[in-house]
Amino acid sequence: MSLDRVISGETAAGQRPCWSCQAPLSVRAAFCHACGRIQPPAALDHFRRLNLAPRFDLPTADLEQQYFGLQRSLHPDRFAGKSSREKALSLQHATALNEAYDVLRQPLRRGEYLLELRGRPLNGADGGTIDDEELLTQAMAMRERLADAAGEAEVLALIASAEADAAAILAEIEGAFAQEDLASAARLLTRLRYLAKLTAEARARVAGAGSGVQA
Amino acid sequence: MAYSENVIDHYENPRNVGTLDKSDADVGTGLVGAPACGDVMKLQIKVSPEGIIEDAKFKTFGCGSAIASSSLVTEWVKGKTLDEAGSIKNSQIAQHLALPPVKIHCSVLAEDAIKAAIADYRAKHPADDGKVA
Repeated sequence: MSLDRVISGETAAGQRPCWSCQAPLSVRAAFCHACGRIQPPAALDHFRRLNLAPRFDLPTADLEQQYFGLQRSLHPDRFAGKSSREKALSLQHATALNEAYDVLRQPLRRGEYLLELRGRPLNGADGGTIDDEELLTQAMAMRERLADAAGEAEVLALIASAEADAAAILAEIEGAFAQEDLASAARLLTRLRYLAKLTAEARARVAGAGSGVQA
Repeated sequence: MAYSENVIDHYENPRNVGTLDKSDADVGTGLVGAPACGDVMKLQIKVSPEGIIEDAKFKTFGCGSAIASSSLVTEWVKGKTLDEAGSIKNSQIAQHLALPPVKIHCSVLAEDAIKAAIADYRAKHPADDGKVA
């Protein structure tokens, strides 16, 4: 992104010239108002990329409306007959939109991303370790229940209970973000991560893969 | 991903799987997790009156590298003093198991687990610095 801005010769703060006709444009403009040509994508966070306010309780309908609306005007399919530069720029836009949509549509990733934006990244999200005893004792107990589950019915019951727990935690995360209680949000998101892992392992077992269950 | 022979050996024949009594005064328990991959690892040591680790057990839910790392550490720490065990570095674990860069964090988890177990034991024996009088 920053390279695009260098190449496009961004000068005054928030402004850059159109790469084609040199008309002065806002860095956020996806198209030139003078010649209509597509511009390089701006360096934006995932919420701004989709014209959304950064919030956890994001209505799916809003997210989809923005994503599909923007893809309709920026997707490479619309640029099939254009120059290679315009095709490349449209691909950059489409990729950035996909990435933003992919992060924001999943509550777990959306929450973690929001914490990052607020300058309070999740403990251990970067591969580091945590030693929250209560949380890990819970996680260990859940995984033991899965390992000890005798048959498919028991595994399915475990999945149902994990999903109910996840729904309750999501509601708590919404509350924590609403009150700007980022420490609680971070802890709840970590619990959600462990629940998601349990559910994935349990589903793999039902599907017959049975991987990763050990000791 | 291709696992090294040492990882596969520890994964297929994990050493010292099990649990020690957490409330036992001679037992130190380390419980650590790597949220990024949803791994959770418990490593326990049983320490003799002379301050030697005489038994070690682990229970790990995670990938092959995490299981192999914890299995290897339980093997290594047996017969060692707490200071010796506490000086094990994740780089030694990673080297022994030939872990690829994306799996280095599994060895970090094992190092953190043994350190946490030692700290837990020492917290139970504040006066004698690891030795029972």
